[in-house]
Amino acid sequence: MEHLCYPGYIRVGDNRYRERYGLDFEDFQVGQVFKHRPGVTISQQDNVEECITTFNQAMIHFDSNYAAQTEFKQPLIVTTLIVSRLMGMTWKTFNRRKSILEWKSIDMLAPVFGGDTLYAESEILFVGATSKDSDAGLIELAVHGINQDKVKTNEMRCSMLIFKRDHLPFSANNY
Amino acid sequence: MKDSFSFLREVEPNVFIETYGVDFEDFEVGQVFEHRPGHTFSEASSLSYAGNVFDLSPGYADQRYARRVYGDRIKVSETFVLSAMALTTKTFGKVVANLSVTDCKVEPVYVGDTLYFESAILGKRKSKSRPDQGLLHVSSRAHNQDGAYVLSFERKLLVYRRNVGPYTAAGY
Repeated sequence: MEHLCYPGYIRVGDNRYRERYGLDFEDFQVGQVFKHRPGVTISQQDNVEECITTFNQAMIHFDSNYAAQTEFKQPLIVTTLIVSRLMGMTWKTFNRRKSILEWKSIDMLAPVFGGDTLYAESEILFVGATSKDSDAGLIELAVHGINQDKVKTNEMRCSMLIFKRDHLPFSANNY
Repeated sequence: MKDSFSFLREVEPNVFIETYGVDFEDFEVGQVFEHRPGHTFSEASSLSYAGNVFDLSPGYADQRYARRVYGDRIKVSETFVLSAMALTTKTFGKVVANLSVTDCKVEPVYVGDTLYFESAILGKRKSKSRPDQGLLHVSSRAHNQDGAYVLSFERKLLVYRRNVGPYTAAGY
């Protein structure tokens, strides 16, 4: 059953290959599941830097002394970092994304702490119909975060536009 | 004004502790909070944010490519725009944990844009299983410097109730 699929290179000359990422819109089908690699270990330092970058003032994320007095006993990794990392970690398969339009839902199911490793997994829920002259098509997907203990930490549903084959801004040979 | 709308607490004469977050008891359905400061997205922060979350999509990593898609302005990644929701944490600083975000719609935001957030309280109830906490249902949205709304979402979060939680023990 196992087999390799979707070329990761474009042959551009004799013994010369250019790296290629992402599925075209036409390649997506409802029910496909993608396990994205690599995973990423999130540190408490990452957590602090996310709070600095986004001006987050909630001390549960960066005051360990405060966090020790809560039920979690240690700082909670901030939702925005988890969502951004997981979406980022899907980039190889969804490289031909034009834009993210919407998150229908983002559910936080279990806490994430510094030192945890997250893996992203996605499932295609809907593939839209497109007109001939549009350059991209709509897909809806679920993106799950799964930690090193196989616990699902969160689940998102989002919709994005993916470029159709031959509609990438650079020629197909360049990307 | 409600008691917890203060930002300092005088613990002995002339000694003040800064406080964050409105108490669960002081939220009322229909209140709207305008959050400050705003957040200006710079070219440096926008491109480094995309890289820092492991997103190597050419729309951010390759600005020659990005200009073909988005024009001469550099588009801020949607996840960075969403993450600017952290600007709501002064008011919701007594958060225990975020539970969910729903109906999050995001319009294009470009480098140089500044977003300002506001939040409306849609609902609140005491938690049955967590007697020291309450559940808030909040609608938030952000507009840019021209007044155009570019991000909106609803959120459910748990916040600590008054005089409980980790504050006294943690020196808050």
